[in-house]
Amino acid sequence: MLYHGRSDSYRVATIGPVKDDNRTADGVFKTRRKPPAKKRKPGDLDDLKQELDIDFHKVTPEELYQRFQTHPENGLSHAKAKENLERDGPNALTPPKQTPEWVKFCKNLFGGFALLLWIGAILCFIAYGIQASTVEEPADDNLYLGIVLAAVVIVTGIFSYYQESKSSKIMESFKNMVPQFATVIREGEKLTLRAEDLVLGDIVEVKFGDRIPADIRIVESRGFKVDNSSLTGESEPQSRGADFTNENPLETKNLAFFSTNAVEGTAKGIVICCGDNTVMGRIAGLASGLDTGETPIAKEIHHFIHLITGVAVFLGVTFFLIAFILGYHWLDAVIFLIGIIVANVPEGLLATVTVCLTLTAKRMASKNCLVKNLEAVETLGSTSTICSDKTGTLTQNRMTVAHMWFDNQIIEADTTEDQSGVQYDRTSPGFKALAKIATLCNRAEFKGGQDGVPILKKEVAGDASEAALLKCMELALGDVLSIRKRNKKVCEIPFNSTNKYQVSIHESDDPSDPRHLLVMKGAPERILERCSTIFIGGKEKVLDEEMKEAFNNAYLELGGLGERVLGFCDLQLPSDKYPIGYKFNTDDPNFPQENLRFVGLMSMIDPPRAAVPDAVAKCRSAGIKVIMVTGDHPITAKAIAKSVGIISEGNETVEDIAARLNIPVSEVNPREAKAAVVHGTELRDIGSDQLDEILKYHTEIVFARTSPQQKLIIVEGCQRLGAIVAVTGDGVNDSPALKKADIGVAMGIAGSDVSKQAADMILLDDNFASIVTGVEEGRLIFDNLKKSIAYTLTSNIPEISPFLAFILCDIPLPLGTVTILCIDLGTDMVPAISLAYEEAESDIMKRRPRNPFTDKLVNERLISMAYGQIGMIQAAAGFFVYFVIMAENGFLPTYLFGIRKQWDSKAINDLTDSYGQEWTYRDRKALEFTCHTAFFVSIVVVQWADLIICKTRRNSIVHQGMRNWALNFGIIFETALAAFLSYTPGMDKGLRMYPLKFVWWLPAIPFMLSIFIYDEIRRFYLRRNPGGWLEQETYY
Amino acid sequence: MSRKGLQEFEIDTKPSKKTSKQKFNDFFYNEDTGAILGRTPQSWAKILVFYTIFYAALIALFSICMVTFMQQFINPRVPRLQQDYGLIGTSPGLGFRPLPEDVRSTLIYYKGTGYDSYKYWENQLIDFLSVYKKKGQTAGAGQNIFNCDFRNPPPHGKVCDVDIRGWEPCIDENHFSFHKSSPCIFLKLNKIYGWRPEFYNDTANLPEAMPVDLQTHIRNITAFNRDYANMVWVSCHGETPADKENIGPVRYLPYPGFPGYFYPYENAEGYLSPLVAVHLERPRTGIVINIECRAWARNIKYDRRERLGVVHFELMIE
Repeated sequence: MLYHGRSDSYRVATIGPVKDDNRTADGVFKTRRKPPAKKRKPGDLDDLKQELDIDFHKVTPEELYQRFQTHPENGLSHAKAKENLERDGPNALTPPKQTPEWVKFCKNLFGGFALLLWIGAILCFIAYGIQASTVEEPADDNLYLGIVLAAVVIVTGIFSYYQESKSSKIMESFKNMVPQFATVIREGEKLTLRAEDLVLGDIVEVKFGDRIPADIRIVESRGFKVDNSSLTGESEPQSRGADFTNENPLETKNLAFFSTNAVEGTAKGIVICCGDNTVMGRIAGLASGLDTGETPIAKEIHHFIHLITGVAVFLGVTFFLIAFILGYHWLDAVIFLIGIIVANVPEGLLATVTVCLTLTAKRMASKNCLVKNLEAVETLGSTSTICSDKTGTLTQNRMTVAHMWFDNQIIEADTTEDQSGVQYDRTSPGFKALAKIATLCNRAEFKGGQDGVPILKKEVAGDASEAALLKCMELALGDVLSIRKRNKKVCEIPFNSTNKYQVSIHESDDPSDPRHLLVMKGAPERILERCSTIFIGGKEKVLDEEMKEAFNNAYLELGGLGERVLGFCDLQLPSDKYPIGYKFNTDDPNFPQENLRFVGLMSMIDPPRAAVPDAVAKCRSAGIKVIMVTGDHPITAKAIAKSVGIISEGNETVEDIAARLNIPVSEVNPREAKAAVVHGTELRDIGSDQLDEILKYHTEIVFARTSPQQKLIIVEGCQRLGAIVAVTGDGVNDSPALKKADIGVAMGIAGSDVSKQAADMILLDDNFASIVTGVEEGRLIFDNLKKSIAYTLTSNIPEISPFLAFILCDIPLPLGTVTILCIDLGTDMVPAISLAYEEAESDIMKRRPRNPFTDKLVNERLISMAYGQIGMIQAAAGFFVYFVIMAENGFLPTYLFGIRKQWDSKAINDLTDSYGQEWTYRDRKALEFTCHTAFFVSIVVVQWADLIICKTRRNSIVHQGMRNWALNFGIIFETALAAFLSYTPGMDKGLRMYPLKFVWWLPAIPFMLSIFIYDEIRRFYLRRNPGGWLEQETYY
Repeated sequence: MSRKGLQEFEIDTKPSKKTSKQKFNDFFYNEDTGAILGRTPQSWAKILVFYTIFYAALIALFSICMVTFMQQFINPRVPRLQQDYGLIGTSPGLGFRPLPEDVRSTLIYYKGTGYDSYKYWENQLIDFLSVYKKKGQTAGAGQNIFNCDFRNPPPHGKVCDVDIRGWEPCIDENHFSFHKSSPCIFLKLNKIYGWRPEFYNDTANLPEAMPVDLQTHIRNITAFNRDYANMVWVSCHGETPADKENIGPVRYLPYPGFPGYFYPYENAEGYLSPLVAVHLERPRTGIVINIECRAWARNIKYDRRERLGVVHFELMIE
């Protein structure tokens, strides 16, 4: 309850050059929300996006009692409580309207691509219906096709339904945070009620360990501290009392919020907000109510469907009219129309895309990116802006001693995760003295049972800064516990917010030395005030102005690094005044607390993770803007931003320029500054136009001290500018932004349940660097899906053109429905999927993110290539085989034109061929189906070449190589499958596939080679003339 | 990559929104760019030239392949794949004439009395038989005719004559007997290049399924002349017991079979298939009669369901 894996309490003692430190008197940082001055828009969600605007914390308790008609001792009357409950409803989070499972299932079944297939299936059934009602023995083709289409959609629908484990359990995870019971005073009686039954005006009592049952105004408190981590993401316990300290309801000390934890002390308060109106309720409402919109890949698929349906309808209507002009009966023409439209539907593509995405999702999961929503696999690849939380994502989420100042010099400590950084001299007397204080004046301890764990990863009971000191000392000195044992603590004044220091007195470990040692640490300036001497180079010197200057410089420098600085001093108590056994009194100190000896400073920071600077650099070279959005102080945020490269070296903020030129900030042209550090308070005062300006004109932005609502506003601002936004975050407070982002990335280890539910992707190792993997995989799959679709669409032309020839030229059908299905759902599937394994052609992390408005998954150029060029060559191959087989059997090409009617008539048992031979219906159908099989086989043959040319969009295959073994297997597989379908006995009955003579595999070969050669030449010119006409027209 | 390049992060901004009507108009003619149907005239010209060249090349490739194939592998007189090497196989089917107007139908239907009613069928048969009638005038056909006999099969390149007088009364002068409600249906055996029938000419080994009257005929005719047994025999019967009754007596003219000397068919100039006129002498009127005719030879496979070795038609006279 106390520790949530985060312990960045390093802000406690940072005082100094912080402009607006926003800390309360005791050094505990305040919560950071302020109501922004935004105009109200209609709608519930817009309302939720506004920041809290209440006055309960400002008015006197008496006025509050009056307002709620309650009494500080007796509480509400039962009648009034009942009345309030009836008026306001229970104190609980209202779950959003749940989408029933079957609706979700149906969405998978009918959404996007599936709809296209359904329409195809229905058209097939209609065509069959028309045929069945007009002809005695209708051809079953349309019926089968309809059934197969429906089956494909249903199977893939079920598949993606299971894949998509994303369920809107956001509310449920919020519910887990909601308290169960509350202690309430009503009519003077203390009652334990269910938290739901709380009403406005109830007087409640809370004690440590409880969850706050509603938003309350505190009227009485004793050492009361709350953990607001679920609201703010920062788990520093904050003290709460009855005093009104800040205009901002979220920063004032006299309010405690629903579902946060009380960690220390007790308090009594009045309920001021219940259920959905509470701060947490509003976040929950935002997170669960936000509409996420379509993923980029879903948009691409919609665009693709538009294109495909456009082509299908265009072809269908054109040939419908032609059929009409040729004198077909209108019913026949309608059947042709439907046939052409359906033939354009790429049956296998839905499954291909789903499998490709699944494969990538699996690959990403193995690299610590767990994707919850299949479509989100690609989103990171399209991402142009990443809004990253700082704590835990960019940083280690572990306070670590970064610098020490002693002997008048700043020493750098090792902050790396694996202790591979700099080492420092541990033998100087200055360090020894400092280390002794840091060891002794420290209440933190390692938790038990962690023997094998590396020191830095050990869990510590105690405050974050003390833990940092403990670990630092354990590393420097070894066994801290035994040192403490040897220097027995005789007295201690723990840290409190009024003194801002901690002091303890120890017996000496030197048996010959009877003197006690007083050690003290705390806010540096407070410590310095108490010192009269300073320990430098092993000698005690008078603390003169020069030394104070040196101290100040060091303090400023460390503070400027965004680090939390602590001062250390000590004093050997004279043994005559304070002998062994002397009774030290802590309530009324009977020992000196002035004229101490100053020893040094230690500063701590939550250091960036080792891999982050590299990852940020990779993101930037990939053209992705990385924005830091944090609840932390601007100064710390900026320091971390600089150290990880979010603000790159040499780039200045407006303030930096002002400082350099020595002019007021207002005179600096904001456009000159590439970097910007924006404070939450500034953010709430500016309109969306100004936010857009900031986002547009600064390339390196840090938002500090932001509230959940502001995070959301920042995300929306980026999206308004057209960016595809990824948000990383781990706290409940991040959840609205996570949900709103195009892709929300939650942390797997430190992340709260709520954030994981709101996210689309989870980084299992909490490491920002894993995002780079995600970006890379996302970009790769986008490219590879293009290739996959180009490959799949190409075979559409050799599939449709036989039917068109059948209508226009009255020739026997060269390729039947069954064989088309064998291609789309059989031989083409494995090769198309194998393209998902294709390696990137060039360094995809060196190019900009795709432009979501112009760089489409499927564009006109892809269609033109697939349909207009490669597909046509394939169709030519198919027709050549068809004419060859017909001619070898007696039907010379010219003779075939116009014999369709007699050919297809069962009544004609003696159809004459070019040699006067007469064919029975059965024999010529066998011939026709042999042609279908051969046409099918020749499509397989030309698809070899198509597959190989689809491997690359620009490079030569010589350059790309044939190392994609999945793809090589795909070629063998499709060939083997084609052979199996053709040669297996019984296939002539089952699928009407006939065994082919070996030579009938060959006619397609010249066409296969010409596809290969044509495309190599095309790509050669693409490379030779980048940006040239050929690229504009054929580079997809 | 230089750091300078890395620092620019222009976000691709949304293209300006246009109303759908504007978009629609722009599609036909965009005043800003001068584009018609989405392309400028220059762009249209370029893409059209590109595709013209592309398709010209593709057509050339296709033609080269086609011409090479046709010249190297295809003989215009002899099919490349014959009998079992191709798909036509070695088991010919039967065809009948006259054919109904609708190619999908096999029903011969007319009202027995008026000329108008059977005129269509008569014309069909006149048409069909015209080549048999004026074979003397057809170019090339006349010279090729050889006077065939069972003992004198035609030499290579010569064809046998079909004697149309043998079909009496199934001749056009007699309206093919349609007017008497006893129509003549002509049967022919499908031509398969190079196919030679294996005759049922051993009277002792006639198949059991062969109708008794055909068996009797075979025995009689072999008794008269053994050579006459070298025929592909033909028999017609009703399909169901009712049809069998309704069909009435059937006469086969000139013989119930196709003389063996017509085979093999080798695409000789002027070759005419031998025909059998099936004279249905007293078919029952006012009802559909399903008739199946079957060709008999040892190498003609028969399967009623697969329609192997048979031809099916319906007759209805009102």
